[in-house]
Amino acid sequence: MTMCVITPESRRRRGKGRWAKQRPVIQMFHVSKSFGNDPPTLVDINLDIAKGEFVFLTGPSGAGKTTLLKLIFLAERASKGQVLVAGRNVARLRDSGIPYLRRNIGVVFQDFKLLPRRSVLDNVGFALHVVGTPREVVREKSLRTLKLVGLANKAHLLPPKLSGGEQQRVVIARALVNDPAILLADEPTGNLDPALTVEIMDLLCDVNARGTTIVVATHDATLIQRYQKRTLRLEQGTLVAEEKGARAAQLMVQG
Amino acid sequence: MSLVAKTSYFARTALESLWRSPFIHVVAVLSLAVALTGFGAARVVASQLDRLVESLSGEVELTVYLKADSSDETRAQLVTALEQRTHGKATIVSPEQALARLEAQVPGVRALSKDNPLPWSIEVAVPPSARQAQALREVARKVEQLEAVEAVDFGEAAVDRLEGLAFALRLAGLVVFGLVFLTVVVVVAATLQLAIYARREEIEIQKLVGATNRFVRAPFLIEGALQGLLGALIALGLLLLATHVGWPRLVALLGVLDAVAPAVTLRLAGEVAALGASLGLVGSVLAVRRFLRA
Ligand SMILES: Nc1ncnc2c1ncn2[C@@H]1O[C@H](COP(=O)(O)OP(=O)(O)OP(=O)(O)O)[C@@H](O)[C@H]1O
Ligand SMILES: [Mg+2]
Repeated sequence: MTMCVITPESRRRRGKGRWAKQRPVIQMFHVSKSFGNDPPTLVDINLDIAKGEFVFLTGPSGAGKTTLLKLIFLAERASKGQVLVAGRNVARLRDSGIPYLRRNIGVVFQDFKLLPRRSVLDNVGFALHVVGTPREVVREKSLRTLKLVGLANKAHLLPPKLSGGEQQRVVIARALVNDPAILLADEPTGNLDPALTVEIMDLLCDVNARGTTIVVATHDATLIQRYQKRTLRLEQGTLVAEEKGARAAQLMVQG
Repeated sequence: MSLVAKTSYFARTALESLWRSPFIHVVAVLSLAVALTGFGAARVVASQLDRLVESLSGEVELTVYLKADSSDETRAQLVTALEQRTHGKATIVSPEQALARLEAQVPGVRALSKDNPLPWSIEVAVPPSARQAQALREVARKVEQLEAVEAVDFGEAAVDRLEGLAFALRLAGLVVFGLVFLTVVVVVAATLQLAIYARREEIEIQKLVGATNRFVRAPFLIEGALQGLLGALIALGLLLLATHVGWPRLVALLGVLDAVAPAVTLRLAGEVAALGASLGLVGSVLAVRRFLRA
């Protein structure tokens, strides 16, 4: 099927991932999240994601997948419980420390968050300027990353002139351009056709093989079935199950 | 390296923003220019008033009328004493000289009487330092008590009135200026906030990809300072126009003679520029603060 799954290369890396299980990079202990007086969005979440692991996060719409990811890069703070990233309790992180946490986390936003009046290249380069990378390096790195997602020829267009799938790939490029230690991808293939989905997933597998911890939130049962990864399943704000690909996909299809 | 990269990024971002949304920035620059023109004009008018008071009260002299029996020696002593006390220039005027002067103003006066009824007097031109009513009054009071002195006259009321007028004008100017300035500061802050509001999405995304507040703020500060300087440039242009073109026309029209032309000094230019830059800077700091939370 895909390179990611069958090569001995990837098997070796998965082995590495298992070894790394002793070194958790994302942990949650009894985490709850409520917005105002609404019923809580997340209830008593406990999870443990190891360094170098590739994890799917699934569940029906509104289950709280995006919210859970937001707790990791502190777009939202947990109402209760503790969130640890690379061993640090981010619940206690002061606002001034947030930027330094985020520089290690690439995020593929479900709603893209691209700047409509800046070129694709500038949008990708944005993440590099923020850390004070020189202009030429920004340009060169951004172009290289755009090539990875197959958009080098669209570098100078404005995002609104791109198709949904192309925009999604720009977002993926922006998340990857910094070589982040953690990649959080919220429906990264939601707008892609099957062929492109495979391509992007292979790219993510490659990135994962180079040591980046990856969490992919998705509805897509075929994705989960094809890539046999640990899958966390959210339902109405609680983590109901944790199983390996095929079984998880089966459960999803059965509903 | 990183510092250079950041600085050039900030400068580019600031210029780009000026370039991308010119309208909002034109409004901000113009409102800054209005505030700064007001400030500059107030300063020019104030210095004109100072000069006016100075030149008018320069005409008010201290005149000491002496008793008829005063001797040459007493007069000489008095001249020295007066010059010492006022640091001014004292001149003895004989009855004959006084009458000649009067004759010049009112022809035929001399024929009215055979005797010259005018006394000896000493006229003192008061230097600027002693020109305040209070100081003159002090000198007059002391001189009046002297043996040989009949009376002292120094246009007290005129000096008083002039000083009072200048003070009132300056106070009124200050109040008006303060109100205008306050209004414009509010307008400037609101305009800058509007300009930043247009870029809130960019700020949000910058923060999501790991920008510090300082990093987000920097281009806005540069932008604010640039706007302030641009506003100052326009204000100085307007002030120069007013003093170099407007004033001569006004003089020609009203026929005011001998008026000292108002000037935009280098110092005033510096003040306007500094005020403009800091106004833009402070306005930006206040405006961007709202968008940096979370
Ligand atoms: N800022 C917020 N304020 C109030 N409620 C919120 C907020 N963000 C999320 N919620 C609520 O939390 C619940 C979970 O939302 P979330 O976006 O995490 O779901 P999701 O699993 O990502 O769904 P989808 O698959 O549709 O993206 C929703 O019911 C939503 O209304
Ligand atoms: Mg979501």
